[in-house]
Amino acid sequence: MTNHWNDLQHTDCALIIGANPAENHPISFRWLTKAKENGGKIVSVDPRFTRTSAQADVYAALRSGTDIPFIGGMINYAIQNNLIHKEYVVKYTNASFIVKEGYDFKDGLFSGYDQTKRAYDKTKWVIETTEDGKPVKDETLENPRSVFQLMKKHYSRYDVDTVTAVTGTPKDDYLKVCETFCSTGKVGKSGTIMYAMGTTQHTVGSQNVRIYAILQLLLGNIGLPGGGINAMRGESNVQGSTDFGLLFDNLTGYLAAPKATLPEHVTLKGYLEKETPKTGYWSNKPKFVVSLLKSWYGNNATADNEFGYQFLPKGNKNYSHINLFNAMYKGELEGAFMFGTNPVVGGPNAGKEKEALGNLKWMVAIDLWETETSAFWQTGAGSDPSKINTEVFLLPASASFEKEGSISNSSRWMQYRWKAIDSKGEARPDLDIIHELALKLKKLYANSPKSADKPFLFLDWNYGTGEVPDIDLVAKEINGYDLKTGKLLKTFGDLKDDGSTSSGNWIYSGFYPEEGKNLSKRRDNVDTGNANYLNWSFAWPANRRILYNRASADPSGQPWSKEKAVIWWDAAQKKWIGNDVPDFKAVTAPTEPGGTGAFMMNKDGVALLFAPTLNDGPFPEHYEPFESPVPNVFSSQQLNPATVIIEGDFNKKGGKAKYPIVGTTYRVSEHWQSGSMTRNQEWLSELAGHMFVEMSEEFAKERGIKNKDKIVVSSARGEIKAYAMVTKRFKPYNVNGKKVHQIGMPWHFGFKGFATGDTANRLTPHIGDANTMIPEFKAFLCDVRRAD
Amino acid sequence: MAEFVKYIDVTKCDGCRACMVACKNWNDLPAEHTDFLGSVQSHTKTTADTWNVLQYIEHENSKGGLEYLFRHSSCFHCTDAACQKVCPESAISYTDFGSVVIDQDKCVGCGYCVQNCPFEVISLKEYKDKNGETYRKSHKCTMCTDRLEEGLQPACVTTCHTGAMEFGKKDEMIRKAEKRVSEIRGRFPNTMVYNPPGVGGTHTVYVLAERPSVYGLPENPKVPTSAVVWKDYAQPIGKMMLGATTMAVVAGFVSNKLFNKGGHGHGEEGGEDYE
Repeated sequence: MTNHWNDLQHTDCALIIGANPAENHPISFRWLTKAKENGGKIVSVDPRFTRTSAQADVYAALRSGTDIPFIGGMINYAIQNNLIHKEYVVKYTNASFIVKEGYDFKDGLFSGYDQTKRAYDKTKWVIETTEDGKPVKDETLENPRSVFQLMKKHYSRYDVDTVTAVTGTPKDDYLKVCETFCSTGKVGKSGTIMYAMGTTQHTVGSQNVRIYAILQLLLGNIGLPGGGINAMRGESNVQGSTDFGLLFDNLTGYLAAPKATLPEHVTLKGYLEKETPKTGYWSNKPKFVVSLLKSWYGNNATADNEFGYQFLPKGNKNYSHINLFNAMYKGELEGAFMFGTNPVVGGPNAGKEKEALGNLKWMVAIDLWETETSAFWQTGAGSDPSKINTEVFLLPASASFEKEGSISNSSRWMQYRWKAIDSKGEARPDLDIIHELALKLKKLYANSPKSADKPFLFLDWNYGTGEVPDIDLVAKEINGYDLKTGKLLKTFGDLKDDGSTSSGNWIYSGFYPEEGKNLSKRRDNVDTGNANYLNWSFAWPANRRILYNRASADPSGQPWSKEKAVIWWDAAQKKWIGNDVPDFKAVTAPTEPGGTGAFMMNKDGVALLFAPTLNDGPFPEHYEPFESPVPNVFSSQQLNPATVIIEGDFNKKGGKAKYPIVGTTYRVSEHWQSGSMTRNQEWLSELAGHMFVEMSEEFAKERGIKNKDKIVVSSARGEIKAYAMVTKRFKPYNVNGKKVHQIGMPWHFGFKGFATGDTANRLTPHIGDANTMIPEFKAFLCDVRRAD
Repeated sequence: MAEFVKYIDVTKCDGCRACMVACKNWNDLPAEHTDFLGSVQSHTKTTADTWNVLQYIEHENSKGGLEYLFRHSSCFHCTDAACQKVCPESAISYTDFGSVVIDQDKCVGCGYCVQNCPFEVISLKEYKDKNGETYRKSHKCTMCTDRLEEGLQPACVTTCHTGAMEFGKKDEMIRKAEKRVSEIRGRFPNTMVYNPPGVGGTHTVYVLAERPSVYGLPENPKVPTSAVVWKDYAQPIGKMMLGATTMAVVAGFVSNKLFNKGGHGHGEEGGEDYE
């Protein structure tokens, strides 16, 4: 989130799209209820009428996979009706920048496309610069090669009639959404966009988020209280896990993982030159990278050995979930550790992922219960145990309340938690398990002469010598040290690229600024102003609660409005003050160079309406999902041209003739993810104990299905049984004059635990987003019939 | 002592069901087997082991618009409680807080309270004693009277994250309810405060989004006349004549005559509906 949960109370309008927070992130409604009491409006956009829609002032339906037309149309509406915050757009975005000749867009393709590689040459998407490297601008925004004019032209194709013909949204509802949300473009108003996996789990997932950002920038809603782009994370520590390098292409702190496919990455010097922009805060990247290497390799990291850079693995493949399972399916992987993950329920095309597990020689599952994944070889999974040779080890893990440590929530708050009760039986915290494993492996390999074993041997592992690591040492390592004095660092501003500092994760540096002062343990619930609670826990980076808050003030440094003030320039004190930590250099005056660079992480200090960094284009463009019942109205490119397609048996594709129904998946309040925790809880299983499929009354009637009937849902990948839940909350869509039906189902169920049922993901495809490879769980084709 | 009520604004409820789990947790109630009911609702109504149930209702309003309505349903703790009136063992009583509670030691499982509750929130549960003999007890929400005595609020109220539920002084809560109704009438033209006078008012007061019947609630619930006859006339006389132990036998006969609700109740066979 750019903002935070409590801040939702300040919004004038919350546009909730690709998310159902009333059911899946209920705590958000504590704050949205307050926003409503203050006159704020809620807009819910969802394929079905949810409990979030029930709380909304405006509801609009859309067919799964059509977010870009929906929001693209709102961008067009805002521009055509002059509802944008023009000064904000001119000063704080790259709208005025001139795009070099060479950029073009025709029939769904941007310039630079290579069909054989399914990839773009991004050097065709470049901003014109002056001799000294500054962008060429036209602040009138009139130049036809300006980002603003190119964007305006791009989205002029997204007129209301075309958009609603694609999304299936009733036109009146659509216009109501446009009018309600775009009213936050006024100074003194702010609107927030709240999203979750309904947005990201598409072949255009990254561009879905990008287009929300573009709309928010045009309306001047970023950096303001009650504004922002707010990703609601699906699990209490998903934010923490991505911050700490869980994503396959990241090291910790969102630093790129080195790749063998990039020649520059052969040396640390080359990697840093390639990855570090000349200007903007990321120009400090070498300090973050070298400090990270120092924290990982300690004294084994020296200037002479590139600080241990060569110890890092440099793969030549894409190591996303889909690709790993494809490799496993082909028998290319020998073993796997499964830490609290349950792909036999949660993975796409889960039937195939279960088969893939059988190709492993060994698997170590670390979990609270035996899950569908650690039990994939059992007859209950539909497997024949006599034919599976995988050796499976199940290590019992402790639950969150049985151990000490921190979680980072969607608000970026790192909150420390203390152990409440002892673990049962032999269960141990993940950290203990990893610690002991590391110590034992280091001992096992201690005398190895092989160079391949060096990275492991050189790993600095000093968290105590016993079986139980000292977690406080781990916390301090994350914060980082001044290695000359041995003192903890007070801020990431003190990091150096000469090996004299360490930090396990630069974005968290400063949360543990001195001995005995772990700020994530703070629980001071006095409101320090505008519900930012600066003394409660620690928010990364630098305890900032609202990111880009410099943009809440005008270029001269004064708040755009009193109602939405966050920080402002105090000329007497010569610094930025307010009710939040400035997300800006606190002493840089608005009149100084860079004094209006509200988006200081970026090269030119502005936000990117035109983003030449993504794999699938500088502007979000609509493509239909991998499986869609209709042709793409906007161009002849049916599928995202930059997304990777895995051909063959691993990823069978279904057509609309056999599978005419759009399917989607989602969650219920009572279950978490693959349900391995919650389906083992009796009280939760009692409340949500059955696999069901929601469908409209119209569709049920067409298929002769009655409420509570047992049905079969099939896709090109498999079929599942479930109960029919016939509801008024799903309606058929009118897509370009044709009736299109959609159904939806929870993806929590499996054959273990108290609440059992068929696994929805046996239906979903093995295809991912062009940038992140997040699987397209949210839109696929299927068919439905009665089970008897 | 001031009277207290549980205030429930259903228009602020998002149906998360934390109240159901909090109730089971505090009162140590076991999970029940639940069948698929064709909606996300888990139980058709409250049972002896599930003292509050979240209702989910799809309702088309007079303008043809779809409303998705939720209601935390549990005991109303009536001021003039039919269950208390008909209990032959005086096992049901009012507390100083206004809550209506069942003394499990006194309850003989006759089921009259079950039959006479105008809101159908009381249920019987069957147990076996150490000799294998079955016996029954009736159960319902206690308003967490054990928590109230310790200065705490009911578990469901404490856990409600949207502020849809509050526990407070009756006058204040009624005023709050009336104010809320006036505020949301534009959005919900049929909104009303549900605090039915036919049972002397209740200690669970609702702001409803729609007419009571939409939620399956009686529009104007009353203490059954038969219950009044029983409590105020037959029972005192009976007790004088026969003594308390025999009274239960007589009660069985009388109840058949007076309270038979026409076969749809959960009467003489007792609790097997809820096992």
